[in-house]
Amino acid sequence: MRLEKCWFCSSTVYPGHGIQFVRNDAKIFRFCRSKCHKNFKMKRNPRKVQWTKAYRRLHGKDMTQDSTFEFERKRNRPERYNRIVAENTLKAIKTIDKVRVEREARHHKRRMMGKKSKEQKEAAKEVEQSIHMVRAPAALQQESPRTLPKIKVKVAQPTAEENQPMEE
Amino acid sequence: MFTVLLQQQRTFIQMRTNLKVVDNSGAKRVMCIQALRKRKTGARLGDTIIGSVKEAQPRGKVKKGDVVYGVVVRAAMSRGRCDGSEIKFDDNAIVLVNKQGEPIGTRVFGPVPHELRKKNHVKILTLAEHIA
Repeated sequence: MRLEKCWFCSSTVYPGHGIQFVRNDAKIFRFCRSKCHKNFKMKRNPRKVQWTKAYRRLHGKDMTQDSTFEFERKRNRPERYNRIVAENTLKAIKTIDKVRVEREARHHKRRMMGKKSKEQKEAAKEVEQSIHMVRAPAALQQESPRTLPKIKVKVAQPTAEENQPMEE
Repeated sequence: MFTVLLQQQRTFIQMRTNLKVVDNSGAKRVMCIQALRKRKTGARLGDTIIGSVKEAQPRGKVKKGDVVYGVVVRAAMSRGRCDGSEIKFDDNAIVLVNKQGEPIGTRVFGPVPHELRKKNHVKILTLAEHIA
């Protein structure tokens, strides 16, 4: 059983999932779900759709070059089963995964490094530029109200005759 | 979203469906006149149909107006695979066979699905360029 990659979003397509489209030049497009298939039918470019892996890689959102990615590779020659090798592989998977997660977290941290100071700088600038719009609460109370004062008008009371039902 | 709505709903290969012939038998276009599936709607990927040759090259093995048997090797309607995923192709294409199921031509063009092996069309698979 082979785990393929979705053509659109680059996620893993597990056996029994998704749809395959074979173009007449024998190129196979695999899709993990109908969302990706529909986007393909709409002729969208995965590099321009923000939720795909291709976009994130292209725009430096994700870690692209790392030695942990080297392990995941397409091998056309089946490996001969060896109990020791299989055991070691299973152990290694956990270690490699841990390393990858740590590195990704570091990448994210580095990417977000200047964000807080930048935001604060922008906020300070906004306050400085539009300070004239802010008023003290005491000044607001002293001001005359913006709305018109209420006027009471007497409404004529309806007479008893009008309330009676109409005659046939 | 609009393009999805505008896209044609692909259906079975049924009477009057035009299919491209992807072998060197001489026929170019075949119209389906009968799908050989008992009590079923129509033919799908890998099924055998009877068709009438609508366009043919001169001096081919079949000529225009012949009634021929053929195996659907590509279908635009998606078909479930044995593992639960689905497969679909660009167009509707056929390979002409005789009544015993042996191909008339000696070459097959374009991709064909491996499901033909299940239907005992191994000869078509060996002739094919690509197996999808």
